[in-house]
This record gives sequence, structure tokens and C-alpha cells, in this order.
Amino acid sequence: MGFTITEKILARVSGRASVRAGDEIMAKPDFVIAYDFPGYTDVYFKQMKEDFGIARVAEPERFAIFIDHMVPAATPKEEELHIGTRTWCAENNVPLYERKGIGHQVAAEIGYATPGAFVVHFDGHVSQLGTFGCLAMGIRRNLLEAFVRERISIKVPQTVRVNLRGTLAKGVMARDVFHHLVRVMGPASCRFQVLEIGGPALSQISTEGLQTITGLAMFTGAVTAIVNPDEARLAYALPRARKQLDPVFSDPDATYAAVHDIDLTNLEPLVVIPPTPANSRNLSEFVGLEVHAGYLGSCASGRLEDLRVAAQILQGRQVKPGFQLNVIPTSQEIMAAAGREGLISILAEAGAFVSSPSCDYCFGRIATMTANQRAVSTGTLNVRGRMGSPDSEIYLCNAATVAASAIEGAIADPRRYL
Amino acid sequence: MALNNLRGRVAFIFDEVNFDVDQIVGVKNIKIQDIDELAAAAMQGYDPDFRSKVRPGDILVGADNFGYGHPHYPPMRAMRHLGVAGVVAESFSPGYWRGEISMGFPQASCPGVLGLVERWDEIELDWAANELRNLTKGRALPIEPLSFADRSMLEAGGLLGYLKRPVAAQ
Repeated sequence: MGFTITEKILARVSGRASVRAGDEIMAKPDFVIAYDFPGYTDVYFKQMKEDFGIARVAEPERFAIFIDHMVPAATPKEEELHIGTRTWCAENNVPLYERKGIGHQVAAEIGYATPGAFVVHFDGHVSQLGTFGCLAMGIRRNLLEAFVRERISIKVPQTVRVNLRGTLAKGVMARDVFHHLVRVMGPASCRFQVLEIGGPALSQISTEGLQTITGLAMFTGAVTAIVNPDEARLAYALPRARKQLDPVFSDPDATYAAVHDIDLTNLEPLVVIPPTPANSRNLSEFVGLEVHAGYLGSCASGRLEDLRVAAQILQGRQVKPGFQLNVIPTSQEIMAAAGREGLISILAEAGAFVSSPSCDYCFGRIATMTANQRAVSTGTLNVRGRMGSPDSEIYLCNAATVAASAIEGAIADPRRYL
Repeated sequence: MALNNLRGRVAFIFDEVNFDVDQIVGVKNIKIQDIDELAAAAMQGYDPDFRSKVRPGDILVGADNFGYGHPHYPPMRAMRHLGVAGVVAESFSPGYWRGEISMGFPQASCPGVLGLVERWDEIELDWAANELRNLTKGRALPIEPLSFADRSMLEAGGLLGYLKRPVAAQ
């Protein structure tokens, strides 16, 4: 029997000829990534020294730290956290990426999404590096293990294979594809497993769209998502790769825990209603519902194709007076490209508030909603209180829907604007 | 080192699938640092008298995909402060599971547990036999065995203790 891409990557990093799902191994991550956040990095830095007597990390080139939350700082305490991070990185000779954008996106831009690599982070949205055939897992506080030991303990996960087929209709985006997967497979369908995405429809889903799909994998219960990278993904990832590795691919006779064939042909734009990412619904059921704010950004959106569709919809139109539309490109690279394309001016002229990259809009640190406000959002999550008051509401949707809803001040179907 | 069996009453049954544990304290209380204040906020939406009823060693029971969403640590911090010794659920969401195991807080997957127990039944979680026994009703179900790493982490009282042990030969 053949092996999955996940089994092949974990065999290499555990120094074994082969591993199978279920094996418990000690694996050496190729890259250890984190963003500075209270209770995580500050604690690791302290525990490394105080609990383990480790003054410096071994092989600092394996580590990467991002400052993308609390950017810009709003309190002295936040800036103190950043100072602590800058100091630690300088002392440890660990690369620090500050104000470059949301780390999960920037990590791909600067080559940490090396095809065939094994990457760990505490945050599960790092799964989006799987777009490039990289196995990237969020392991919460256990990331400390990677700071104090060369190898981390891991059980080789089983894989659920999803074959996407059919053609996406106008106004339907990768975001909808992901929430459709949750709807048809269920929010527990890939628990403790890897979501491997393939099938003929992949060729018409952009690399950016795949980053959206793989980045949200946790809401199927998956520990990460991965794609067997085709020429287009490799053409992006290989020239930037930080490590010389041969890309690996699942064997045709690999063993899967389940295989799902999902036809995208008749898929409509979706909306995920509060208060859980398990609540995928057809957008059409909610058209007309009053909304007060819109967020286009996050590690699950805010890329060029999202900005392009929003600009297409908003060109020559205006955001409804009183509606707060925040458009936050995911990285500086994306923001600069959007500027060159003229997208930023279109969005600004339509009345959008366009700001530099930051994670802060996604979790309510800024653009905070109060009770009884309601947002359409391309953020990652719609649980209570995610963007402010526990009595505010978040309807997750694609970027086109955010733009169309901003015009109407109500949940709107973007297809009539396209 | 063997993992001690847990024996206690079923303090509460969360029968909602995909249960978001943040609801235990309520999202508006999630940032409370003071443990007494946090514990006072716990369970207000489910059983306002929970705090006076729960006893050290009691166990929570959950449904499928327990811990789904974006779980934070304070709810179970509060539960531990009130004496809760662990959670048994039909199944768990991986992020929640990993987080609580790393806190050294025992969790056990027991498919069928919702049919096995009622609130306040006396139960015993037997890690050696991989079995959950309902002592009140005299019946039992198997639990899913812990991985070596998860078991080691629970034995060590959590992630820090685990990492301070010598690396186990695998």
C-alpha cells in the first residue's frame, strides 16, 4: 500500500524509512513559527530560560517570529510585549517579521511554505501553508516542546481525502467551498485527521483561494489541511523555499480514512451564521438582513482576488452611509500590489476604510462592535464576542458578499453586481 | 508512573454537540484573571447552584466534538478550581483536547457515554482497563486509549512536567 503526503513528510522528519497513520513518533520540525501573543511567546521565552535553563534556541534559522497582532500597539503593555519579542529574537538570532502582514500569509511569501516541509505553530490557521504541499500544524501551547527540544512528539494522523469536482459559478469563491465542506461533511468529519484536498476542480481554484480553504481546516476538526502541489503552486513556492527539499505527493494507492467526492457546480454563495463556524447556510436565506459593519481581511481572505472582486463591485458605487467597511489587505506585499492595480483607490473612493495589514480586526481588538451590532465578515470565526460584544453577531461570507452588503447596509447577493 | 483512576460523580452533562466550552463562563467573562471571580461566573447559564453542588473529584460529561469553536483556557481553569477532576465525552475537538491535556487535565473519549450515565451517577474512569464504569448503575463502556504522549503528559501533570522528564525512548 502506498503512503499519503503526510506520512511521507513525517517519515522524513522522524528519520524513519516510513511511518503509518497511528504511529507515535518524535519529529523534528523544519520550521517553528509563532506570533507574539501574551500567554504564548512571552511564556515560552521565560520558560525556556527559567524552567529548562536554555539561553538560546539551537538552529535559530529553524525559527520565525511574527509581530502581526496588536499592530499598531494601543497600550504601553502591548508595546512592552513587542519589545520583549524583539529583544528575544535579537538575542537568539531568530528572524523577526514585523509589520509585514499576517504571519500565515507572509510565511508563504517568504518561503516557509516549503513543499515537503513540516512546520509547527501554536495557531491552527498555519494549516494554510498546506496549499504548497507543506505539513503545517497548530499545536497550541505544546509548541513549547519545539522551543526546548529538537523533536516533538506526534501521532501520525490519518487522512481524509476530498476530491473537488465541477465548476464554480460566478460570485462563488473559495470561501464558499470551505463552508460547503463543513456543511456536507460536518464540523467533526476530520477530527484529529488531515484534510487532503484534491480533484479536478483544484485547477480552477486560485492559490489564494486554496490558502483560504486550507487555512480554515480546523473547523472540520482537522489538525491541518494539505494539497499535493501542482505546477502552479510549486512555481510559487519552490523559488522562495527556505530549505532544499524534494516535494512529495500522496501515492495513488495511499490509505485514507475516508474519501469524499464533492461537486461544486451548483454551489451558491454561503453565509455562516452565528455563533459557530458549523452553521453554513445558503446566502439567499439571509439576503436583506440589516448589517452595520463589514470586514474584508484576515488570514482567510484579504488577498488580491478578494480585493479585486470587492473593487469590481464597489467601483463607481458608495458604501451605505453609516455602514463601517474595513478592508485590510493581508500583507504589505498584497497591499502594494493592490495599490499598483488601482484597487486601493477604488475602495477608498467608495468609502471603505483601508488600513495596513494587522490581525487585530479579526478578533475585535479594533473596529470593535457593541451590543446588537451585526457584521458581515471574511474573518476566521463567528463565535460570540469574537469581534467585540458577546451580544454582537458575525455572519461569515466571501469577500464579494461583504462588498455588496456594504452598498446595501444589509446582507446582499454579490452576483447582481458582477 | 501509572495514571490514577478518576472516581466521582457526573457533575453535569453537556448534551449539545460541537459544544463551545467558552459558554461555561460566558464570553463576557473570558478575560477574568481572578480565579474565584472566574469560578463564580462558571455555569451560571446552565445551573446557577452548580458551585454549591459540585464536589472535588466530580467529572463532566460531554457530547460529540466537545470543545469545538475557539476554546480558551479559563472555563476549565474555573472548573478545576471548583474541584472538577476531568471530562469524559463522546468525542473531542482536537484543539480543545490538546490544550487541556497540556494543562494536565484528564480527558477521555468514550463513545456512548451519553447513554451510559445520568447526572450525579458515580463513575470511575479506569485508565489501565481503558474503561468507564457507572458504579451507580453497574454498567461500563470502553474508552479510547490515550496516546503514549498524552498519557505521559497527564502522568506528569501537564506539558511542563512532561518536558522536564527525560525524552522517552520511542
